[in-house]
Amino acid sequence: MNRKLGVYICHCGGNISDYVDVEKVKAAVEHDEGVFLARTTMFACSDATQKEMVEDINANQLDGIVVASCSPKLHLTTFRAVAERAGLNKYNYVHANIREQVSWAHSDNKTGATEKAIHLVKSAIARVRLAESLDPITIPSRKAVAVIGAGISGMRAAIELADMGCPVTLIEREHFVGGRVAQWDLLFTTDQTGKELVTRLYDDIAKRSNIRLLTGAEVIENTGNIGDFTLKVKVTPRYINERCDEGNLQRAIDACPVEVPDDFNFNITTRKAIYHNFPSEYPQYPVIDIKNCTRCGECEKVCGSIDFSQQEKTVEVKAGSVLMATGFDPYNPSEGEFGYLQFDNVVTLPQFKRIIDMCEEKLTFRGKDIHNIAYIYCVGSRQVEAGASSAGGSATDRYEEASRDISGENRYCSRYCCTSVIHSAIETKKRFRAVNNYHFTRGIRTYGKQELLYNESLKMGDIYLQSYENDPPSVIRENGKTTVRINDIMTAGKEISVNADLIVLVTGMVPRSDNRIASLFKLPKGRDNFFNEIHMKLRPVETVIDGVTICGACQGPKNITESVNSSLSAATKSFSYVSKGELELEPIIARVDAALCTWCGKCMEACPFDAVKKVVDGGKEIAAINNSVCKGCGMCLPVCPVNAIDLVAYSDQEMETMINALAEDIK
Amino acid sequence: MAEKIFKDSFDALVIGGGIAGGEAALNLANNGFRVILVEKDLSIGGKMIHLSKVFPTLDCSACITTPKVSEISRHPSITILTGSEVKKIVKRGKNDFEAMVIKHPRYVREEDCTGCQLCEQACPVVVNDQYQYDMVGRKAAYIPFSIASPRVAAIDIENCTLCGACEKACPTKCIDFTQEATEYQLSLRSVIIATGFNLFDPLKIERFGYGKMKNVITSMQMERLLAPTRPYNTVLRPGDGKMPCRLAYVLCTGSRDITVGNPICSQICCMYSIKQAQLLMGALPMADVTIYYINIRSFGKGFEEFYDQAKGMGVNFVKGKIGMISEKEDGDLILRYEDINDNVVKEASHDMVILSVGVVSNPDNAAFFDSGQLRLDPFEFVCQTDLLASPARTSIGGVFVAGTASGPMDIPDSILSAGAASSEAMSYIIRK
Repeated sequence: MNRKLGVYICHCGGNISDYVDVEKVKAAVEHDEGVFLARTTMFACSDATQKEMVEDINANQLDGIVVASCSPKLHLTTFRAVAERAGLNKYNYVHANIREQVSWAHSDNKTGATEKAIHLVKSAIARVRLAESLDPITIPSRKAVAVIGAGISGMRAAIELADMGCPVTLIEREHFVGGRVAQWDLLFTTDQTGKELVTRLYDDIAKRSNIRLLTGAEVIENTGNIGDFTLKVKVTPRYINERCDEGNLQRAIDACPVEVPDDFNFNITTRKAIYHNFPSEYPQYPVIDIKNCTRCGECEKVCGSIDFSQQEKTVEVKAGSVLMATGFDPYNPSEGEFGYLQFDNVVTLPQFKRIIDMCEEKLTFRGKDIHNIAYIYCVGSRQVEAGASSAGGSATDRYEEASRDISGENRYCSRYCCTSVIHSAIETKKRFRAVNNYHFTRGIRTYGKQELLYNESLKMGDIYLQSYENDPPSVIRENGKTTVRINDIMTAGKEISVNADLIVLVTGMVPRSDNRIASLFKLPKGRDNFFNEIHMKLRPVETVIDGVTICGACQGPKNITESVNSSLSAATKSFSYVSKGELELEPIIARVDAALCTWCGKCMEACPFDAVKKVVDGGKEIAAINNSVCKGCGMCLPVCPVNAIDLVAYSDQEMETMINALAEDIK
Repeated sequence: MAEKIFKDSFDALVIGGGIAGGEAALNLANNGFRVILVEKDLSIGGKMIHLSKVFPTLDCSACITTPKVSEISRHPSITILTGSEVKKIVKRGKNDFEAMVIKHPRYVREEDCTGCQLCEQACPVVVNDQYQYDMVGRKAAYIPFSIASPRVAAIDIENCTLCGACEKACPTKCIDFTQEATEYQLSLRSVIIATGFNLFDPLKIERFGYGKMKNVITSMQMERLLAPTRPYNTVLRPGDGKMPCRLAYVLCTGSRDITVGNPICSQICCMYSIKQAQLLMGALPMADVTIYYINIRSFGKGFEEFYDQAKGMGVNFVKGKIGMISEKEDGDLILRYEDINDNVVKEASHDMVILSVGVVSNPDNAAFFDSGQLRLDPFEFVCQTDLLASPARTSIGGVFVAGTASGPMDIPDSILSAGAASSEAMSYIIRK
């Protein structure tokens, strides 16, 4: 085929041209078959260069272009758009990556880098000679979004989507909404409480007819794909009729003989098997915890609203996009870590927040008055490699030292804890008299305006100490008294001890331990084990699973404001998938040659996206590709014994000609 | 006064064409809304387009900004006014704002300029290049910077001698000294404020010697020295062109400092300094880099790991505040500081000092609305009136805030904040 091609080789500032002789690359390819013009450019992605390309294509009637620049991950769509603006089918543009694959990888060998760049560009030219015009695959997209998780992020996203005119199903695993925020009474930098905030959002949800809220609901199956997801949701009943008499319910709660640890209060208190987390919680009627219920029938005797005949049911939810807002777990210290579960006056930050919420006039814990509080920072965050920290932990009859091992997997900083604990300490001091706060820190991180809280706490007389790296404070129990001891940086290494009535471990955020939802959606995780976005700056709420967005603390530690910012961003993104009623998908997918296929099933086994199905075509069993699920990854190609599958735009012929170009002149 | 008056209506006015404003405009436009983006500067792209690489991924900043910028500039639903200022906005009612915008004359017809730079070559006037933070010169007829959008010339009329050389050199005759300001009267349904931040002016801390000692530079100047479109094509100290080998960073310059009226933390300086230190270790393999800090605040996703990586590469972290900087005859600098670890006052000699300047508010925000309508916080950032549930809301319904106009934040947070602002603006417009 006679082609008229344009080739553009980018300097990328100096990112490429510092290591690759771009002029030499141009000279080496400009006489290749079909190449009509070859140019070098400072930034191929800049507006001016893009305009030039459009002009070149139009003026010279080019029918194919090659851009040699950075990774196509960054600019594939940029240059496809250039082709389209010039009236050229976008699949007549082929990309060569000479930055990530050349200049950055071979900065130690400029001659070799230039050689490699020449071959990569030549192979791209070889491929574009065979390029064909393709049309995108258009699929319908259902105007509905499933939001998973009704914490602050999920609730906020649901409201926003509803206001954009998009029906929402909000799926919450717990029987009550509000997630972690409902558990936090005091919220920093405003005077609102968690309960107030959740109540407000719940009211907003209740007002909107296009939000369906499912509580006690867990996604158990996910089929389909972008534009058309089908979720199976298991809904556990409350075993209480909706129109119930509240007075009787309280009597039913009183009558229940079962006591189990109360998750809502992080197990520092107990609750009954019929319970609500706090009065006026939403939805506003209690639930029977059927796992712990002994069916003794005491509740039924005093309350007519109880209904054990209610059945678990499975609900089908259909949506064009799924928004994940599944939140985080607080770090759970291991037994003995800074005395946790070893000494009875060691609690975590979430437990401490519940304690101050539950105390009224005096601050007490387990019946004892609290005056001196020691806060040990970064428990479960900024952990070090095993062996890098002192393990501690020794005991005699009357002396016991807790483990101060800070090794673990969580290298990251949980970002919210410094501010959260300082805010809690300030509020504690304001609310209860005669409280002294001692902060055992690893350097305070009250970033931005949160610094004002740190200043306020200093003014109130809180004492701040800082440990050396790898020398965390020790917690010692001696003669019934608990002491926290530190070698303090702020006083040039002085050993300082504080007798503490209560020790608060400032625990960070960790990914949810129950990870079933991630496996259902095949969501990738980052090295911190939180869900991973595609690109932190360019596509911060999108995942590699098309149509699934992420927001809030399931993506990484965040405070409330940050969570809501990401949740609204994700709402916009999910909305854009469904708002038009249809979606255009990439046509670069696998293609089965029905004549050659003998159905052995190997391609179906190899497919990571469940895109291959067996169909009967003219009495013959063959493989069929689901166009809206296939991602064109090519996994099915090499396993086919009869070579019946080809990848559009990456056909065997195209690959072979690329390989020939790469091998040219190589002896 | 303005010669021409244009009237038009849009769904949203976005003030500021940095990364936050750009992202907000794109979100709105991609969902079918008509947007007008008003940028004070001659190019969109904000501060991000001038950065070297960005933490913690070390992506080349220009490479991830320019595709956004070109997407914005060619979007059929976005109208861009560069070199333009929003003078006044009045809210008439729900979904009903009126704004007056002045586009200052560029003295170049944008649509005819090809960016050939012949005017630049012809112009005899040389002044400081603000886009290289005064480290090199530019002409009075100039293209702002190589990856500017629009990449067209402008005449710096304050410094121009009206010699006419550029007019003669211009092949498309697009230079027009008779241009006057244009007034735009806009009716709008919502407003997004994305005016960004200013850098703290280090001249306010005399004891650091900025402006007097040539080898004391700001972090933004170092950003330029490290960027792909850098002025000297390598890292040199400005005093004598020597390649520096003992560099020091002074963190919290103008942040967490009551004496300069800014007690808050700027949120980005720790991380950009750590990033620059890593880049410097690559650019100057023999150099020692020391970072003087109060607390290292590496709090975001991947940040702590990035800090660990810098320590692993050999960046020297010293906990201590710098008291003062003095200059030796050879241009080297003596830093007097309190070493917190040892609890003694020490002195150290460096051959180049980088002041990690903080984030302060953009004073433009106060003037858009009649006095007091748009509430500002004590530091004159735009006040977020519903911080937890609707962080983009301001004291005026239908006016939203995106990015650093509401306070210090890094690029990922600015982009998410812009996502929130555009989302709220969309539902505000749709909700009626």
